Amino acid sequence: MALPSSTPETGQDLLFDRSGRTQWRLGFDRAAGWLLPLLFLVAIIPILDLVYYVGAQALPTLSLAVITNTNPRDPYALGVPIESTVEVMLWATAVAVALGLFGGVATAEFLGERAAGWMRMSANLLVGTPSVVLGYFGYFALVLGLGWGLSFVAGATTLAFFMTPYIFRVTDLAYSSIPRPIREAALGAGARPYQYVVKVAAPIAFPQILNGVFLAVAIGVGETAPIVLTSTHSVIVPPTLFSPVTFLTAAIWLNFSQPPGPALALAFQAAFLVLIVVVALNIVVRIISARYQKRLEGLYQ
Amino acid sequence: MNAMTSEGPVLSIRHLTIQAKNKKIIDDLSLDFPPSSLTAVVGPSGCGKTTLVRSLNRMVELTPGLRVRGEVDYLGQNIYAPQVNPVMVRRRIGMVFQRPTVFPTTIFENAAFGLRLVHEDLEVIEKSVQDALERSGLWAEVKDDLDRPALSLSGGQQQRLCIARALAIQPRVLLLDEPTSALDPAATQRVEATMQRLKEDYVLILVTHNVGQAARVSDRVAFLHSGRLIEVGPTADVLERPREPLTQQFITGRFQ
Amino acid sequence: MSATPTPDTGASREPLPPPASGPPDLEVRTGSFRPSHLIPFVPALVPTALLIAIVVELLISSKFTNFGLAFWGPHWIPSPSTGAPTFGIAVFITGSFLTAIPALLLALLIGIGIAVASTSYLPRWLTRWLDPFVDLLAGIPSIVYGIWGYLLVAPFFGTVINPVIYHNFHWVPGFGAPAPAVEGVGLPVAIFILMLMALPITTLLIRDALRAVPRDLWEAGLGLGATRWETTRRVAIPYAMRGIVSAGFLGFGRAFGETVMVAMVLNVVPAFPLNFYSGTSTMAAEMFTQLDSAYGNGQFLAALSEMALVLLAISLVVNIVGRRLISRFATYDVPGL
Repeated sequence: MALPSSTPETGQDLLFDRSGRTQWRLGFDRAAGWLLPLLFLVAIIPILDLVYYVGAQALPTLSLAVITNTNPRDPYALGVPIESTVEVMLWATAVAVALGLFGGVATAEFLGERAAGWMRMSANLLVGTPSVVLGYFGYFALVLGLGWGLSFVAGATTLAFFMTPYIFRVTDLAYSSIPRPIREAALGAGARPYQYVVKVAAPIAFPQILNGVFLAVAIGVGETAPIVLTSTHSVIVPPTLFSPVTFLTAAIWLNFSQPPGPALALAFQAAFLVLIVVVALNIVVRIISARYQKRLEGLYQ
Repeated sequence: MNAMTSEGPVLSIRHLTIQAKNKKIIDDLSLDFPPSSLTAVVGPSGCGKTTLVRSLNRMVELTPGLRVRGEVDYLGQNIYAPQVNPVMVRRRIGMVFQRPTVFPTTIFENAAFGLRLVHEDLEVIEKSVQDALERSGLWAEVKDDLDRPALSLSGGQQQRLCIARALAIQPRVLLLDEPTSALDPAATQRVEATMQRLKEDYVLILVTHNVGQAARVSDRVAFLHSGRLIEVGPTADVLERPREPLTQQFITGRFQ
Repeated sequence: MSATPTPDTGASREPLPPPASGPPDLEVRTGSFRPSHLIPFVPALVPTALLIAIVVELLISSKFTNFGLAFWGPHWIPSPSTGAPTFGIAVFITGSFLTAIPALLLALLIGIGIAVASTSYLPRWLTRWLDPFVDLLAGIPSIVYGIWGYLLVAPFFGTVINPVIYHNFHWVPGFGAPAPAVEGVGLPVAIFILMLMALPITTLLIRDALRAVPRDLWEAGLGLGATRWETTRRVAIPYAMRGIVSAGFLGFGRAFGETVMVAMVLNVVPAFPLNFYSGTSTMAAEMFTQLDSAYGNGQFLAALSEMALVLLAISLVVNIVGRRLISRFATYDVPGL
């Protein structure tokens, strides 16, 4: 067992091992090389099927007229939930940015490591919380507690609470990633904290934060539970501040189990719109963040 | 008593060229390695010595974008022949890296890693582990507690464990890529002593940037520059009476 | 073709790390302390405040009611024709676990396979496209999964997959009679789509964990004559185990809390499932579908809120454990994580 064998062996003997075990090892590895990549199909085929299905069901019924149909007396007008969704998202994004942006900056810049750690953990936990729990919070606190009722404000604000942790995290990350030399140079030159945050860091962090806002919007548009629980009646109504509102996802939820007809068509149309908006935003976010990585690496030189 | 038959070199490089995009990292290099020898491969940074050594066990394939042409014959069989599986090559031609790369398990499991792939019999494995640890000079220091985490060893000990790990699967050739550059002088000395012992039974190929180390442990020195083999010969000859001007410049420190 | 692809240990997805030990103190400490000095800190409290507010709110709306042992029991009858209502959530807890655990196990297995394929077996030019594709799965809204599931996948399960399982496995306890219905809604479909929803999370985390394995170790393993698979299994995966376990927890959290898709596809009934093909309910789905029925009914609302607390508690624990194992910035650009 000790030394390499002293009987002359050729390279051929040594490099080609016909033993069962070795053949099995090499064969297994080759098989894995084919089978494992095939697992990608488990993810890819369903997505393609889903997008195709929703598109195929929705597109034949879609037209400019349908999209812009905001007739309040038409219970299946697509334009109404579209308009409502846009308005809700404007409000929700504004509130979420207000809360998340300042929170993120404050955490990144003014808090010590331990406190910042708690805040970040809270944000992460919020992101991981089921949206239905957020919906319950909105219901009890805003709909019942503040007496807003099932309304635009309740729904949009609940959605804002849902989106806030995302914006908080990305702002925190953007500010924390600013290269130290830049921060120290600014402060060393006598800038006050406020000036640093707004004049120096903000332009650098802006693309990343904007990206995060896009992502939060993508998530918000696709959410159902928080908004349905706090703002929807079964009748589609154009929104005023304290009246119920029909989000696009709510339109899907209310109509998906209907037999084929205008109701189901509305569900598919809404689903299709939500899907392409969300997918498009996700793709944009990914592209921007890839570009941003390169720029940030440049900053480190 | 050992593999010193009269058939010639164990490893034989023939017209090896390795190219990355437009640049030739190794340029038409041919070199033989006889049994029971320690060949030091030296040269300035960027001369290709690491790439050369990594081409001897087909590790060079892990770097994307490199094209390998030519032959490397192991006991007469070209390791780059299409039917040859790199896995088999690496069983016969082992490698020790620049930094100790012990796995985060026990000393025993590290040494036994390669063995476990091939053998099932625990007795066989234990015997081979002990043998390998003895050869690398580590046995005395660890024999009492082989189940200790390997990371609790010192740097020099870890490197000798890496040597043992490579020896355990019984290669005939051992490639060492600057194995002591991350070690302190005492550990370096131990590893060099190990290498000197091992060269009787194996073919050792040592990449080093340390000419003094080459002088201390090697039988022959091969000097590389810009991917080409400039000079090769017995250590004393190359280091004291180099024939090529490039070699002379290197030895006397112009490049370092 | 015997060239081995490079083990993928390139730059990890994680953005460049924040400065070493916390930001330098930006506040200028002058002599006297004024309350206005606190102002910059306040916004940072937002997430924590929100979290606490949610917990407090739910406690209040459940009126701290301790329904006693019956709360954990199997009888959920909010509006009995006679007698007092009982609110036992055992059905929903079971349902949540019954759907989430198989989904998570599948997502872990497949996720490991995809991650290994991506890091060790496929060339970089291919994975550069494939990986983001899988990540995109995470961004699809659950209601869209739901409508696709309810109208396309469920019938497919009902007419194709479930009968095949029934035909071959009806002798296994739980897989026998009653035979699956053609509509197909029930556990199998729900578990399948839940798996799809957890998959991008597990894949991403495991992929990152594998990429973090040092190049040296990969090469050391391969250099000892191990195949790609053996090196992955014996060197890389043990090293990456933390990330894999974290993927398990966070993927589970995702599946456990999923609401809308399950509500659409599970054939929700507040009863234990009769067998593998039938429907049941989960905490999240029940909460979602019953809230408006509970309007005005104080006890009902309180019971639902208490159930929300249980759901929240489990979700928090799972998330805390899962997150401790990985870097805190690791998932910042993944939707829903």
